[in-house]
Amino acid sequence: MILNALQTVFRKSVYGILALFVSASAFVLAVWLPNIRLVAGVVISPDVPLLSKIELPLSLLGSIGTNFTLLSASYTVLISILFGIYIAMMTYFLRRRIKDVTQGGIATGFLGVASGVLGVGCAACGSFLLTSLTLFGVGGVLTFLPLGGSEFGIIGVILLGLAVYMTAKKIQDPQVCNIQN
Amino acid sequence: MVRKINIMEEKTQTTQKNNLAMPIAVVIAGALIAGAVLYSGGKTPTAGQPQQQVAQKQTGDLEKMTPVSSKDHIRGDINAPVKVVEYSDTECPFCKRFQTTMNEVMDTYGKEGKVAWVYRHFPIDQLHSKARKEAVAMECANELGGNDKFWEYADRLYEVTPANNGLDLAELPKIAEYVGLDKSKFSTCLASTRYDKHIQDEVENAQATGGNGTPWSIVVGKDGKKYPLSGAQPISAIKQLIDLASK
Repeated sequence: MILNALQTVFRKSVYGILALFVSASAFVLAVWLPNIRLVAGVVISPDVPLLSKIELPLSLLGSIGTNFTLLSASYTVLISILFGIYIAMMTYFLRRRIKDVTQGGIATGFLGVASGVLGVGCAACGSFLLTSLTLFGVGGVLTFLPLGGSEFGIIGVILLGLAVYMTAKKIQDPQVCNIQN
Repeated sequence: MVRKINIMEEKTQTTQKNNLAMPIAVVIAGALIAGAVLYSGGKTPTAGQPQQQVAQKQTGDLEKMTPVSSKDHIRGDINAPVKVVEYSDTECPFCKRFQTTMNEVMDTYGKEGKVAWVYRHFPIDQLHSKARKEAVAMECANELGGNDKFWEYADRLYEVTPANNGLDLAELPKIAEYVGLDKSKFSTCLASTRYDKHIQDEVENAQATGGNGTPWSIVVGKDGKKYPLSGAQPISAIKQLIDLASK
């Protein structure tokens, strides 16, 4: 069923391009997340030569191999791909049945992304997750997480997968007029 | 009529299924977290363990960085135009990786006198309860053997630790002996509390500058401009940043 829905959506190349664009953007943002201040500072600064504005952010993308574990790199890539697919499918769906959007699908997708961001942010020791938890006064909760916060990334993959499944199901569910008698 | 009722029942079931999707997703998420807690054996933080060393806010002020001085642990020339000030946690696997990267950076830029590497402590107790003791061990190495022994000890410590709290603390005096320090004096120093404040000051300084994870580095340029660098970045990125800071 999912495969059929994917074929239906990605038969039109515009959705494939949209998915690729969103996936690539999500991946780049996820990898840059710990250094977003540096990237923004370098790109905005008038004192930085143009070549450095391009080269430095590009070289930071290499941190997927140095600042991520195999597990966190895997779910970062998966979340990016699933997010791209999800956005493309939702766009396809919304353009056809705007009144029939399932709130559950959207909420699951949103939760998936939110959870994924926490997991991705925890790629380095501490980082975004630790700060977030500490801000809410529950920094100690990390002591209970055997994977040091990667649990959020895994949950993100599951929720996004679920959101894609729910959207695919709705796409495959034909809108027909029911017989009343 | 019967057919109409059946259709209505089917529609109700479908709606119920859709309504159930959200709670099911939340239950799965909750179950995973609960599973993680159970898997960890319900560990609780040790009494008295410092819990406040984590960043108070996400964005700090780089200008709050304690200026580099001769009191710091410096590899390379203190007067080098570019300084990489690293706040590190010895049990963080990314700091272990970054130690190797920075040694490679220093092999070229350090020997040319272009870069000085400054090491400061940033143990994250929530993740690595042993890191603070290891920071004390490094300070003891410095006390007994000076700056060179500090770095020798640091290199060896990062080499032998499997990271993620994997080092047996009984190894600390053995590492001291390995780098040529008096094991007995080292153990006495290690048992003392004289470096606790110094380490805590560096942790707080890391937080004040915006450090919310390790390794957290601040690259100080020739003109004094500061660039934040979070995580174990590839050597190409570090070299790019050093080149930029040296202009």
